[in-house]
Amino acid sequence: MRPIPLLSSCLAALSSFAFAELNLSQPLLSKQVLPSTFKPPQVFKNANLVRTTNLDKAYPRETINVIIENIDSKPQSEYYLPFEASLISRIGGLEVKDKKDAEKGSFKVEVVEFDVESSTEFYLIHLPTPLAPKQQQTLSISYSVLSALAPVPAQIGQSDKQYVQYTFSAYTPSAYKTEKQKTKIKFPNGDIPDYTTLPADLNAEKKADPQKQGSTFTYGPYNDVPAGAEEFVSVRYEFTKPLTHASLLERDLEVSHWGGNLASEERYWVTNQGAQLKNHFSRVEWQKQSYMNPPTSALKALNLPLHPGAMDPYFTDDIGNVSTSRFRPGKKEALLELKPRYPVFGGWKYSFRVGWNADLSTYLRKLSTGDSYVLKVPFLEGPRIGEGIAYARVHLRVVLPEGAKNVKYSTTVPLVDSHNSLHKTFMDTIGRTTLELHAINLVDEFRERDLIVTYDYPWTAGYRKPIVITLGMFAVFTVAWVLGSIDTSIGKKKMA
Amino acid sequence: MSSPLLDVWEAASASPFHPPVSKDAQFAVGFVLLLFSLVLAGVFSLNRSFINLPLLGGPASVAFGFGAVYMICAVGVYV
Repeated sequence: MRPIPLLSSCLAALSSFAFAELNLSQPLLSKQVLPSTFKPPQVFKNANLVRTTNLDKAYPRETINVIIENIDSKPQSEYYLPFEASLISRIGGLEVKDKKDAEKGSFKVEVVEFDVESSTEFYLIHLPTPLAPKQQQTLSISYSVLSALAPVPAQIGQSDKQYVQYTFSAYTPSAYKTEKQKTKIKFPNGDIPDYTTLPADLNAEKKADPQKQGSTFTYGPYNDVPAGAEEFVSVRYEFTKPLTHASLLERDLEVSHWGGNLASEERYWVTNQGAQLKNHFSRVEWQKQSYMNPPTSALKALNLPLHPGAMDPYFTDDIGNVSTSRFRPGKKEALLELKPRYPVFGGWKYSFRVGWNADLSTYLRKLSTGDSYVLKVPFLEGPRIGEGIAYARVHLRVVLPEGAKNVKYSTTVPLVDSHNSLHKTFMDTIGRTTLELHAINLVDEFRERDLIVTYDYPWTAGYRKPIVITLGMFAVFTVAWVLGSIDTSIGKKKMA
Repeated sequence: MSSPLLDVWEAASASPFHPPVSKDAQFAVGFVLLLFSLVLAGVFSLNRSFINLPLLGGPASVAFGFGAVYMICAVGVYV
């Protein structure tokens, strides 16, 4: 019966292609495929685990502080963190640090997958130094979950309060046995009409579950939860703010040595994932209430704090220039205040582009070693709004001058793809060297992360543009002289 | 947190990049060079000879090449 396994593996391979095509937000790089029989080796246990879920923003932010202990006889350095397959593609900005030594920076983290059909996938955390047997280490794992809040009810009136529901497991998903754990949930306010109540027997202290303290709920503590155990609970709370979600952000940074300029352009495709309007949009009602400035589920304005020195901003969309914007240049920051053409209610979309220029001297430095340069720019700028904004995909392009080579970069933002290409635009002969970086599931907390790029730019490459134009002009002079010296007269030449 | 490239950036703090012609001067420099090129081209057109080709056409071409680059920058297309 050989053909059947062969056929099934072919089908699995084909389905993986279909899967990859449908789910664009899947991490692309650093994925290792494990055999389907894989189970994380039970070499650790979680001695104590505290998870804090912060629901202040339009995306839940989770922080897991866990004391892990090596229960194996050998030193271990690979810690697995399980997620549901549908959830892992929405996990963003997962970072792991040593709680007691945060200065050391983030640990290396990668996504591992053992079967396309499997309902569980893992993040693999590499501890920088293997943990000796019976030793403990405190990890601080933080991440955001995108598109996690569902508006309930799904349709509301224009000036109604919006309620959203968040579903999660009261037991923190873990690939290892957890001796003691609890989950704290911080709500933005005290208006929490619905939440799942768990039986007091599950609770280690036999108390009512969850425990409430103002706008903070605590599920647990729970003792001796086995690996992989889950207990789903839901909470529904008031969140009358837009759930701003950018399905795509394209950001271009163009370096011009001749002009001494850094040109930035950002193109956004924004959706409000909040509750949809029950009735038609009423301009009268909107205008009436706008004087009072009440909380609303619609996205009214976006403020982009740009770096000081930003100039010549523009704000356009598919129709053209959007005149409802203000630019306030300042010494600390240059604030660009944008108002979309219409308030973006739940389910509505808006796409636009903004751009600005800045002096290159703030961002670019010349190295003492020959014709090398180092560029330091923010990876993400974008709007700063209280309720936050989530980016499903970010495509960053750094357009370097024509002829730049030996491009290297470094950033602390988790990337899924990076490559070099050529970008052809005005007055180019071979095209400009471009560094393309792709990231997924970022949130606005990554705003101030830096991207550092170094490149070599020989001075001969710098003169390419004026030399090309000079040669072209000289050709015109030569043609003028050649054409001018052709004798087109009729009859015999007059001899003097 | 430190990374090798961040150290490179810090090490180069004394030498920020400054273009040979600042943004404010781009229009003036571009305009003067283009005007110079136009004048030389005019003189050349009055007396098109082989000797005038490198004598007038050469400097006019060079002035036009650099002038065009600065003028394009001055109008906002930063090449």
